[in-house]
Amino acid sequence: MSDAAPVVLTLSPVLDLTAAEPLKAELLAHRGRVLVVDASGVERLGGLCLQVLLSALSLWRQDEINLRLAYPSDSFSEQWAAFGAPAFDSEGALA
Amino acid sequence: MDAFEAIKVTFFQECDELLAELESKLMLLEQGQTDLETINAVFRAVHSVKGGAGAFGLEALVRFAHVFETLMDELRAGRKPCDPVTIKTLLRASDVLADHVQAAQGLVPEVDEARSAGLVAEMELLTHGGEAPAPVVEEDEDDFGFTPMAFDMALDEPLAPLPEPASGWRIELRPHGRMYASANETGLLLRELGRLGPTTVVLDDSQLPALDALAVEEGWLAWTVELHAAVDEATVREVFDFVEADCDLTLTPLGAPAEADFVFEEEGPAVLPAGDDLDIAALLARVQGEAVAEPLAPLSAPEAAPAAAAAVPTPASTPAPAVASAPTAPAPVTIRVDLDRVDRLINAVGELVIQQAMLSQRVLESGLARSSGIALGLEDLELLTREIQDSVMAIRAQPVKSVFQRMPRLVREVADMTHKQVRLVTAGEDTEVDKTVVERLAEPITHMLRNAIDHGLETPAERLAAGKSPEGTVRLAALHRSGRIVIEISDDGRGINRERVKKIAVDKDLIAADAVLSDEQVDNLIFLPGFSTADAVSDISGRGVGMDVVKRSIHALGGRISISSAPGKGSTFTLSLPLTLAVLDGMVTTAAEQTLIAPLPAIVESLTPQAADLHHVGGLDPVIRFRDTYVPVVDVALVMGFRDAPMDPTQGIAVIVETESGQRAALLLDAIQGQRQVVIKSLETNYQQVEGVAAATILGDGRVALILDVDTLVAIRRSGVRSDFKLAS
Repeated sequence: MSDAAPVVLTLSPVLDLTAAEPLKAELLAHRGRVLVVDASGVERLGGLCLQVLLSALSLWRQDEINLRLAYPSDSFSEQWAAFGAPAFDSEGALA
Repeated sequence: MDAFEAIKVTFFQECDELLAELESKLMLLEQGQTDLETINAVFRAVHSVKGGAGAFGLEALVRFAHVFETLMDELRAGRKPCDPVTIKTLLRASDVLADHVQAAQGLVPEVDEARSAGLVAEMELLTHGGEAPAPVVEEDEDDFGFTPMAFDMALDEPLAPLPEPASGWRIELRPHGRMYASANETGLLLRELGRLGPTTVVLDDSQLPALDALAVEEGWLAWTVELHAAVDEATVREVFDFVEADCDLTLTPLGAPAEADFVFEEEGPAVLPAGDDLDIAALLARVQGEAVAEPLAPLSAPEAAPAAAAAVPTPASTPAPAVASAPTAPAPVTIRVDLDRVDRLINAVGELVIQQAMLSQRVLESGLARSSGIALGLEDLELLTREIQDSVMAIRAQPVKSVFQRMPRLVREVADMTHKQVRLVTAGEDTEVDKTVVERLAEPITHMLRNAIDHGLETPAERLAAGKSPEGTVRLAALHRSGRIVIEISDDGRGINRERVKKIAVDKDLIAADAVLSDEQVDNLIFLPGFSTADAVSDISGRGVGMDVVKRSIHALGGRISISSAPGKGSTFTLSLPLTLAVLDGMVTTAAEQTLIAPLPAIVESLTPQAADLHHVGGLDPVIRFRDTYVPVVDVALVMGFRDAPMDPTQGIAVIVETESGQRAALLLDAIQGQRQVVIKSLETNYQQVEGVAAATILGDGRVALILDVDTLVAIRRSGVRSDFKLAS
C-alpha cells in the first residue's frame, strides 16, 4: 500500500477517442498512489476510454493500491452500465 | 485538423451528396414516380445521414432523421400511401433535414425549431395515422418500455405458412481499433441494439492488457449482447451498417426452431409496447403489408423485391439464420482528392501547353522541315498534350445537377412567400461544366429564379383571369451549345412590362425621355446598375441587388446574359458560359501588329473581303455581303484603339463571328496566323478589365496576346461608343 495521500483525478466531460491517450498518461502519472477518479463531470464515455479505465482498475488492483472510480454523473453511470461494465457499489464508487 | 475532424468533414461532404440524392428522388416522387425503388432510395439517403450523425453524436439531426426515416419505412412497406400530401411533407422535411445538417456543420446558427417540430408532428401524424407514436422510436435507451411478445401466426389463417420467428439474437461484437478511429462508438451500437428490443450486455475484458502495456487505439474489449426481440437478421445487421468491416461480428439466433424450413425474409412487429392494447387486426394488416427487410446497401445498390411480393415467405432448404446481404452492383470506384491538388495539376498542364507551343515555335523558326523527325515528334507531343489537358479538365467537370438540385427548395419557399403556385421544370441536369463555373452559377440562378417567380409569374387569380392555368411554370435548363454551356431560365408569366421598364429608366435618368429603343434594348434596361422594377424592396428579390449584379457575375465568368420576353407569355433569360475557365480554342490573328485571339466557338468562317461585296450604309463602318445577307464590319484595330484611321477592308481578312444573341458581324483583321489552344490568363486578376477583351494568354514566343470579347466588340460597333451604358447620352 502507498502511504502517500490520495490523489483526485477529475475526468474530462467528453471521453472520446481523442481523450484516451491523455487519460492513460494521466493515470499512469499517478501509478503507485491511491487514486480517486472523479467521474462527476463526464457527459460522454467512449469505448477507448472505457478500456483505459478498466485497465487502470486492473493495474491498481495488481499493484494492491486503491483506485476508486467515484461520484459518477448520471450520464457516466448510464453509459458505463450500458457497456456491461462492473456495477458501482451502493456508495456510487467502484474499486 | 485532427483525424476526428477530418472524418467529420468527410461526413458532411457525404451529407451534401445524400441530400442532393434525397432531393432528386423526392422530385421523382412528386412527378408521380412512386415506385419502390425511388422510395427505397429516399429511405437510404435519410438513413445514411442518420447513421453518420449518430456516430458524431448530432442528436438533433438524428432525432429528426429518425422520424423522417420511420415515415419512409412505412411508405416502402406499403403501409402508408405515397400520396401528394405525404410527398409535399417529405419535400419540406428534406429542407429541414438540410437545415439540421447545416446547423450541425455550424453553417447556420440554428434550425428553425418551430418549423422542425411542426414537421416532426406532421410526419408522426402521417406515420401513425393520428395515434401516438410507438415507444420504439423513443430515444431513451435504457427505458425500453415494452416487452417481447411472440406473435402467434396460427391466428392468421391466410398467412399460416409464415415461419415462427426466432425469439432473438446473440450478437458477439469485437470492435477493432479502426472502428474507433473512424469515429464510431460501441456505445452507440449497443444503444441502437437496445432500440430493437430488450438486451443483456456482457462485457469481455479478458484480452485487456494492463494499463502500462495498453495500446489505447486498439480495440481490446468484446461484447456479447442478447437481444430479446423477434427481428430479422437484416434489421440487426443494419445497426452495424457502417462498421461491419471494422469489427468481428457474429449473429446467432436465440431459440430458433431446430428444423426451420424458412428463410427469415421478414418478421412481423413481434415486439409490442407494454400496456398497449393488442390490436390483432392492425397487427395482421401490418404483417401483411410488411416489405422484405432488405439490407441497407450503398446508394448504387439494387433495390429489394417489390413489397407486394414480400408477404409470402420463400421456402428454402437452408436453416434459419441464412439471410445474406443482397448482391450489390459494382459501384463506380471514386476517390476524394483535394481540389488544390487538381488545380496544381491543371496549372502545370497549362504551363505544359505553353511550353509545348513555345517549343513548336522554336522548331518552326529554326527552319526544320515539317517532315523532320523533330517536327513529327512535336506533333505527337501536341496531340498527347491535348489529351492530357482534356483529361485533366474532365476531372474538374461537374454536372450542373448540384446547383439545380438546390432550386426546388427555393421555388417552394418563394412560391409560399408570394402565394403563387409554381411548378419547376428542370432539364439537362447532367450537363457538365467546370467546377468553378458550377459553384459560381448558384447565386445568379437563384436570383433569376426568385425574380421569375416574384416579378414574372402572376398570382393564381391573375393567371385564371388571363386564361392560364393557376399554376405557373418556371423552367430551368442546361445544355451545351457551340462549346459553351447555356443555362435558360424561363417562365410563362406576364412578360416584361416594357412601358413600365422604360418609364422607370427615364425616371431614374438612365435613358433620355425621348430615346427611341427597340424592344430588345428596353428589355436590356433591367440590367442597368440600380435598376429595380420592384415598387418596394421585397424579401424575395433581395435588397437592391439587381440584375446588374447578376450580369456582372456572369461577365466575370466569361459569360453573357440575354433576355427575350413576350408580353403575356413570359420571359426567358439565357446565360452562356464557357465550359472551362482554363483553356480556349482560339484563332490567332493580327491587327495593327497586335496579336489577338478570336474564340473559335464564335467564328463562323473567314473570308477575304472583295470591294464589290462592301457597302457603306450611313455610318463610317461598312457592311459586307455574306451568304445573301449583309453583316456589319467591325474594324477591330480601330475599335480597340490600336489605330486611329480605318483600314481598307480589301487589304485585310474578315472573320465572320456570331454573338450569343445570334447576331453576325465581320471582324476586320490584318491577318490570320493559325488556330491554337490557348491557356486563359485573367486580365482582371493580372491587370484590369478592358472592354472588348475577355482575357489574355501567353503565346509560344512568350508574348502576351489578348483574347477578344466578340459580343462586346460587336456591341461597341453598334452603339458607336465604348461603353455598355451610354444610352442616356
